[in-house]
This record gives sequence, structure tokens and C-alpha cells, in this order.
Amino acid sequence: MSYVEAILKVLVVGLLLGAGLPAVFAAGLVAYSNGAGGQHADGTAQAPNPALKWLGVLLFVFVGWVILTAVAWITRATIIHQFGFDPFPFIK
Amino acid sequence: MIILVLLIATALAFDFTNGFHDTGNAMATSIATGALKPKTAVLLAGILNLVGAFLSVEVAVTVTTQVLKIQDSKTGHLVTGITPSVGLTIIFAGLIGGILWNLLTWLFGIPSSSSHALFGGLIGAGLAALGTAGVNWQGITSKVIIPAVAAPVIACLVAACGTWLVYRITRNVMAKRREEGFRWGQIATASLVALSHGTNDAQKTMGVIALALITTGHLTGDVKKEGLPFWIIFSCALAIGLGTYIGGWRVIRTLGKGLVEIESPQGLAAEASSAAIILSSSAAGMALSTTHVATGSILGSGVGKPGAEVRWAVAGRMVVAWLITLPAAALMGALAFWLSYGVESVTGSDLAGDGLIFVILCALSFYIWWRAQQQKVDSNNVNADWDSSTNSVVPADVREASKAHKKDAAAV
Repeated sequence: MSYVEAILKVLVVGLLLGAGLPAVFAAGLVAYSNGAGGQHADGTAQAPNPALKWLGVLLFVFVGWVILTAVAWITRATIIHQFGFDPFPFIK
Repeated sequence: MIILVLLIATALAFDFTNGFHDTGNAMATSIATGALKPKTAVLLAGILNLVGAFLSVEVAVTVTTQVLKIQDSKTGHLVTGITPSVGLTIIFAGLIGGILWNLLTWLFGIPSSSSHALFGGLIGAGLAALGTAGVNWQGITSKVIIPAVAAPVIACLVAACGTWLVYRITRNVMAKRREEGFRWGQIATASLVALSHGTNDAQKTMGVIALALITTGHLTGDVKKEGLPFWIIFSCALAIGLGTYIGGWRVIRTLGKGLVEIESPQGLAAEASSAAIILSSSAAGMALSTTHVATGSILGSGVGKPGAEVRWAVAGRMVVAWLITLPAAALMGALAFWLSYGVESVTGSDLAGDGLIFVILCALSFYIWWRAQQQKVDSNNVNADWDSSTNSVVPADVREASKAHKKDAAAV
């Protein structure tokens, strides 16, 4: 049964990070693009909206932060071994 | 000692083929959508592979302990009945099986798994030398076979969800900005895949070299606790980075153009799914095939986009290649072992046996390379239109040109 469990784990992590993050990125793109204003393909104009644009940037930053954290988590052992500090000192 | 040096050279050669066979996993979609220029893409992938190789040793541990039962699990000594000479020949023959299968599949542009080629080669040579007792069946089932079957399915599912979501969410975004935004995202995710490829695949060769050094007694058994010598990590990182930079254009072409006609949002979803799955299973020490994951993801990005066309004939051919990779590489590994062992028992010199299979390896590799040069696929024609009637990786005009060339030669 442990195989099924391991596979399910990878599937859940995969869905969260592999499909969830692109969705957040896409949402960021929607916010950023609409916030920047411009003209749609059908000719309707969109007024710029700085708040929306910043929301988009915030979402991009969030995606980047999640990725960096995940990489640091995976390489944790090596980072501790080579550089002598723990990137996640509060988690055992 | 000479054999050990030859073996390490062969292992690095395997690492090199591993690199260029798998460049496409990370970069095929970015090259196909034009997010990166082909040359830039392979350079970026090469550097990131180099960096990635330094990041973790989990998978190397799997390779030294889970495939062959050469060392005793408790003491780390060699299992009784294996002399260092036989142990080295097993690893040597395994590597040869892996390299030859990698080159052969590259010639046909099939993205088969380099990991399976390596494990297949080792298993085959191990079987030939020690019988069924020499192979760690349980380790292979849990760490190799099950991930191999599950990975592409999971990847396909995740990428399909991702693609669907991404298209759904951005359906009202201006087309130009969407294309541009996703190109950036694509470059980022592709880089992540290249990095994770380094952490996963370079490890396999490090594991093999470590296994050889353990066999000869140059290294003590516990890789997990003591880490690997720096020169092993460095040379493997360099070999896979260089291999990636040379770029297996044939495989890139199949993945980027053959399977699905890709747009940048699909590329982003596919690469994100690959990166998430490869990294999470690398952390678990599962030596899964990055190739299977990448292919599954790209397939999924075709399934998830409404109205996209997937060339199932190409996909089917790949699945067949996946199924036969392990046994075929095993057969080559076993043949190489028997040949070397036979020569050794006739001449009484283990150098003669291992030397012979090394020379054969060089000759066959050169031949395959020469065949590939006849109908060349490189950075210039990697994105040429896919010919659905033949589904051949070689672009139609190159095939014609080489046919005409042959006719001329025949006429003279």
C-alpha cells in the first residue's frame, strides 16, 4: 500500500504545484494585463487600473517565492552539508 | 587500475549521452514556441544542468544500493563470490548497454528514458554474471518500475489540468500580451526542469562511479552519510552540462514538433508539471525517468487544450520504445558481459576482455553518429514542419536531399 501512498503524494504535490502555480501565474497575467489597459481584439478599450496591475505583480512574486522555497526545501540537506546553515531553521 | 579509469571514462560518456538525449525534456517546448532561440536554449539548459548536479545526492544513493546487490547492505563490503574484477566488468557492461541504447534511440529521435537504459544495462549484466540473486528485485520494483509506470500518467494528468486552467483563466486576455507573458513563464519553468534534470540524472552516473569505486575498495560503502568525493560530482556535472549543450536535436524535434503543435501557454503548463513532479520525486529518492515525465506532460498539454491535435501515432511509438528500453538495454548489457567474460577466460587477462568491449563500444558509437550525420537534424531545421505522413524525425527536404545524394553516388 505504501506505493499507492507515495504515488498519491506525488500526484497531490504535482497538482498543487504543477497545475496550481500555473493557474496563479495565469491569474496574475489577467490582472496585470487588464490593469495595464489597452485594446481588446474586438476593439473595446480597457481603462488602465494601477491597483489591478500591482495585484498582478504581487501574484507573480508569490509564484516566484513558492518556487524558490520549494527548491531550497529539496536541496536542504546539501545546503546544510556544504554551507552549514539551515534554510528552514524552525522546521524539524 | 586501467580498467577503473576506462570505466569512469565510459560512465562520463554515458552521462554525456544522457545530457544530449534529454535536452529536449526541458527545452523542446521553449524552442518550438520560439520563446528561446535554439542555441540560447541549449546553453541555458547546459548551465542549469551543471548547477543542478551539485544540489542533491538522494538519487545517487538509490543507484548504489537499490539496483544491484554488489555490496552487503550492513557492512558495505562486497558480497561473497564477487571479485572486484567481475564487479567492474558488470558495471562496465551495464554502461555499454545503456550508451548504445541511448544512441540508437537518439538516431530515430525517440525520447526514451536514459535512466531505464542505464538500469536495464546494469540489470542485464548483473543477471548474466550472478543470476537472479545478483539483482535487487524489491528495490527495482519500488524505486524504478512503479515510478516508471506511474510517472507519465501523473504528468499527463497534471499537465492536462494545468493547461485547461491556464486557457480558461486567460481566455479574455489580449492575445499578444498572453503570448508574451507565457513566454516568460515558459522560460522560467523550462529552466526549472533543466535544473531538476541535473539533480536527478547526473546523480545516476555519480551513483555508478561510486559503485565502481566501492567495488574496488577506493570508497567506503556509505554514500548517504559521507557524501561523494568532489571530483565525482564535478566531472559528472560537467559531462551532463556539455552533453546538454551539444543538444540532441532529433529528440528535441520529436518532443517539440512531433507530439503536439505547442503554444506558449501549453508549454508553460507542461514544463510546470514536469518540474513539480521531477523535483518532488527526486526528494523522495525515486530515480524516475525525466523523459517519461516530460513526454507525459507534453502529451497532457495537448489533451488539456480544447481543440488541440495530438499525434497519437508518434505517442504510441514512444510508449513502445519505453516498454522495450529496459529489456533491450539489459540484453546489450548481458551480451557485453558475456563477451568480456569469455575473452577473459580464454586469454586470462581481464584487461583484454574489458578492453575489447570498450573498443566495440567506440566503433558502434561512431557508426551511429556517422549514420546521424547523413540525415542531419540541428539547430537550423529543428523546427521545420512535421511530416505527418511518415512521422519521421528527419525533415522531408533533408530526406530528399540525402536520397538524391545516394542516387548520384550510385550513378557514378
